Amino acid sequence: MRPPKNISLIVGLAIPILMILIVALSIYVPAIFSPQPQYNFLYVSGDDYWGGRQYEVQQGRLGKREVKHPDNYTPGVVRIFIHDVKTNESKEITFEEAQQLYLNSNSKSKDGWEVVYGSGGDGFFPFFYSGTNRHDIYLQGHNTSKKLNLQHDKTYYRQARFLGWLDE
Amino acid sequence: MSDNSVKKEEILWQVQILAAKGLASKEEVLSAYETGANTGADDAVTHPLGISHILYYIGGAIVFLGIVVLISQRWSTLSDLTKILVTLGSGIAAYITGVILNSQERLEKVSVAFHFIAALVLPLGLSVTFDLAGFEVGTPGLQSFISAILVATYLLSFWVYRTTLFVFFSVVWGTWLFFSLTDYLVGGRPNYDWEFIAYRVLFTGLSYGVLGYYFSTIRYRALTGFLLGFGVMYFLGAALVLGDWKPHQNVLWELLFPGLVFGVLFLSVYLRSKSFLTFGSIYLVAYISKITIEYFENSLGWPLSLVLIGLGLIAIGYLHLYLKKKYLS
Repeated sequence: MRPPKNISLIVGLAIPILMILIVALSIYVPAIFSPQPQYNFLYVSGDDYWGGRQYEVQQGRLGKREVKHPDNYTPGVVRIFIHDVKTNESKEITFEEAQQLYLNSNSKSKDGWEVVYGSGGDGFFPFFYSGTNRHDIYLQGHNTSKKLNLQHDKTYYRQARFLGWLDE
Repeated sequence: MSDNSVKKEEILWQVQILAAKGLASKEEVLSAYETGANTGADDAVTHPLGISHILYYIGGAIVFLGIVVLISQRWSTLSDLTKILVTLGSGIAAYITGVILNSQERLEKVSVAFHFIAALVLPLGLSVTFDLAGFEVGTPGLQSFISAILVATYLLSFWVYRTTLFVFFSVVWGTWLFFSLTDYLVGGRPNYDWEFIAYRVLFTGLSYGVLGYYFSTIRYRALTGFLLGFGVMYFLGAALVLGDWKPHQNVLWELLFPGLVFGVLFLSVYLRSKSFLTFGSIYLVAYISKITIEYFENSLGWPLSLVLIGLGLIAIGYLHLYLKKKYLS
């Protein structure tokens, strides 16, 4: 059987269309079949790079250390949140409340999810974009990712920082 | 007797031989003749670029620059309606002028300049209009929408007017749509970094190459050079980049690359494409240099590595000339 006369036209147009379909399927299909995340997590926002990191998890408990700020530097407000992975909402808690929690500081939760930063491309020549933020944070696992609605400054130095999973 | 008539006699003689041996059917010979006859001597893009054509394009680019400068200098003083009229209005006016001129045989070639202005100004005009309407123009979502409008407009224009220029811009806007739509789908998700860009460039190159081949078989063969040239440049460039660099190298792509380059060099003969031969040779040089520096610089030493790269360059230069003289001249 002879191939259709316009086979090269069909193939040439099908290549980008197929790639768009593959990208869409690779994003949306695993999201349908992935299990719901079970473990909430604790994070801190505002303990920026220049100010030094105040909070660390040691032996399953949140600890605080004194940070000496450089002269002429006004540190941002440091806040601690619990993020509910089912409702995708954060609730602020005090350091004292956070100290009562047992935290698993492994990057991956027991059910296979991980808190990661987005790639947020700005495009490349001659295709440049804005509006996608590289400081967005995602819950990644099971071949999919979900954008997290965290309370934080979307700047490099004041991003939210994952502290630990709440193993209940 | 001129060179052309000698070639014609020779080709007709070859056709007779092929027909006698049953290697070419009457339909194939007639199809080749009709394709050539239908190419149309008046198709502006098939002509080599003359000084008048170059001036048309330069004129078009200057008009576009004038509009950009006018808008940027007086952005704060112009009313919204004026901004839209100067950009989108100018683009639509240039497009309509191009269509009107194209319908008159005497002015057909000048119409190219107006279509060129329209193609440059329309994306700007649409962006300004959406910006004034309160949309964030820089987002991949809106860029997908703008490029989709342009693809639809230019494909429809091609369907009505059958001009090569509309196919050319359909390909350009289509590429824009492909990149912005995939970026829109991905959003800011993790793990879609430079490799995702490289894969998209790779497939764009592959698509250009296949479309370039298609256009070489029909009357719009003026696009073949552009598509094959950019196609092979994108394809091999992306494949080379995907190999990455030690210690993060991707061994699969590093091993695959020579096969791809020699495939392109082989295809340069089959397609009689000088761009395939040129870019194939350039990328082979780049690959040999990369691999030598990456793996052998420390073991062989820098001077010996340079000697090897130099010898590789000479060998590729000779291969390039040999293939060009034997098959493409």
